[in-house]
Amino acid sequence: MYKLLASLKKEFLLLWSDKAGLLLMFAMPLLLVFVITIIQDSATRIASENKISILAVNHDKGRSGSDLLDKLTASGMFEFTVRNQLSRDEVNQELLSKGILMALYIPADFTSKLTGGAGEISSLMLRDLGIEQGGSATGSPPKPNVAFYFDPVLQENFTTSVQNIVGAYVTQVETALVIDQLYEDTEIEARPDELKGKMLANRVKIDMFATGRGGSGLRPNSTQHNVPAWTIFAMFFMVVSLGGNVVKERSSGSFLRLKTMPTNFFLVIFSKMLVYVLLAVLQVALIFSVGIFLFRKIGLPELVIPGNYGAFVTVVLLSSLAAVSYALLVGTLARSQEQANGFGAISIVLFAALGGIWVPTFIMPDFMQVISMFSPLQWCLQGFYTLFLKEGSWVDLKWVILSIAAFVAACQAGIYIKLRSEKLV
Amino acid sequence: MSVGIVIDRVSYQYSNEVEQTLKSVQLSVLPGDIFGLLGPNGAGKTTLMSIMVGIMKPTTGSVSFYEDNRRPGRQEIREAIGYIPQDHAFYPELTPAQNLAYFGAMYNMDGRRIRKRTDELLALLGLSDVAGRKVGAFSGGMKRRVNLAIGILHEPKVIFLDEPTVGVDVQSRHAIVSFLKELNRAGATIVYTSHHLAEAEELCNRIAMIDHGRVIAFDHVSSLLKTNNSKDLQSLFLSLTGLSYRD
Repeated sequence: MYKLLASLKKEFLLLWSDKAGLLLMFAMPLLLVFVITIIQDSATRIASENKISILAVNHDKGRSGSDLLDKLTASGMFEFTVRNQLSRDEVNQELLSKGILMALYIPADFTSKLTGGAGEISSLMLRDLGIEQGGSATGSPPKPNVAFYFDPVLQENFTTSVQNIVGAYVTQVETALVIDQLYEDTEIEARPDELKGKMLANRVKIDMFATGRGGSGLRPNSTQHNVPAWTIFAMFFMVVSLGGNVVKERSSGSFLRLKTMPTNFFLVIFSKMLVYVLLAVLQVALIFSVGIFLFRKIGLPELVIPGNYGAFVTVVLLSSLAAVSYALLVGTLARSQEQANGFGAISIVLFAALGGIWVPTFIMPDFMQVISMFSPLQWCLQGFYTLFLKEGSWVDLKWVILSIAAFVAACQAGIYIKLRSEKLV
Repeated sequence: MSVGIVIDRVSYQYSNEVEQTLKSVQLSVLPGDIFGLLGPNGAGKTTLMSIMVGIMKPTTGSVSFYEDNRRPGRQEIREAIGYIPQDHAFYPELTPAQNLAYFGAMYNMDGRRIRKRTDELLALLGLSDVAGRKVGAFSGGMKRRVNLAIGILHEPKVIFLDEPTVGVDVQSRHAIVSFLKELNRAGATIVYTSHHLAEAEELCNRIAMIDHGRVIAFDHVSSLLKTNNSKDLQSLFLSLTGLSYRD
């Protein structure tokens, strides 16, 4: 026991003497969590909370163009800058020169063409109802159109979403015109406001639910993803410090001396493991504390810790153990510090990319999703997702726990075999 | 009581070399000896010492220790051995006291004994004033003395030193040699390699010269000089190993 305590003390002292390494282990993930969360959060807010700024150029000679802009403004999703004096050619130029991202151009004949279309629909309805006699239409009136300009830097799914929203409101304007036309053609004197109100407002409401067991209605957000994800990355990135540390120890004169002493190299490895697992747990404590206490003060969503504390602690400890075991394995297999640092860092960046640390795995191609299942960072992340986003139970964590435990066992076996082959244990 | 060593027909073959580094080496170190292992570069001195301290296993042959006509067990041998390798074998990020505390615990010493021996050794080796400074910032001579202190912290019965005075100034060398004589007077058997033949002549009572993996001379220093009609170890060494470079 005294040997173990002395060995632990030595590891702490060595770690403490490497202030730059310690700073990197704690400052790097904090910086990453801050930067990535702020970026992702602002991106989410652009789509969900902030109004989308659009340049509007309305040349419509009727009132449908104004109706459309009024409805879009009333939706609360858009903020229009109206510049009706611009020509169609100038709209394109305005986007290029002023850095405007989107523009909606409504042509002069928008109302007339929309009205023509409404008249055609009204006639067809009255004919089919047998209210009005008449032959088939001699030809459809020209269809109305609006022009939607966008900066090519915008993502396609974003511009498509805006296009669909504008299309939905154009349909509302057109429907209102059809109702007006029907009332006019049937010479009903009453105003169709009530019917229009019912038809246009009585839409099916879609309630959104994030799946989870606790029923707390916790919504996934940038914090709930980024804090665990980048903490896992930081834990595994310890390979750069710990892997190099093991190689340095193996190749140093002090190690030769240890081989002549009544002790075992496993004690050295075990001490390193304990100290670095504690370090990984401290990383979790620090980064999660920042997520809980500091994020809300700078306008970011607060990190909500899952209620199943036992499972949470288990996932944290297993993830730490997996990260440390991997670093020890790399340090045991590598022949030089450069090898350990280079391979360690690159492998973790790859594992992180594959494991969904940077972007969720569900947006990857199918074959990449299969590959991602072999990333230990993915298993750890799934453990945190199950707890943080789905409020999962022990049963839900079964495969995650088994996968990480198997990974830890495989790494430890690799370390033992290598040390045994070098006659170190 | 002192410990003796029997090296019985030890050979060693490195996997990446064609020729054996050690060829059936047969030697004995008597209890209480200051035994010098001498030879040119690449002769096999360090390999033989590594085999003696248990870092490497011989390809053939054996090394055995004895004390009072008794053969101690492996664990007992490890506790009885003090090894001072040629490379600095400590943690430069730690202070001398922290290094000694760690290695002392690895030698199964308790905290009180470690502290007592640390104070003694740091004072004896002139390191008390720098006990709280990191070893990495020390001069070459100070590092050698820290290296030595760690190897003898647990008062070993056999001390192996691989070129303990290489690269140090005259004062540090004098301190180390005097200290080794003191340890030997206290009962420790000392096995030592060096290229400083005058130093070896002053320190050792018996020596073995090795060249190309074979023992070419092995006896008391005085007997060897007399038998070979040499005025000192250096002339004996050159007459036995030749004048050509050894790299």
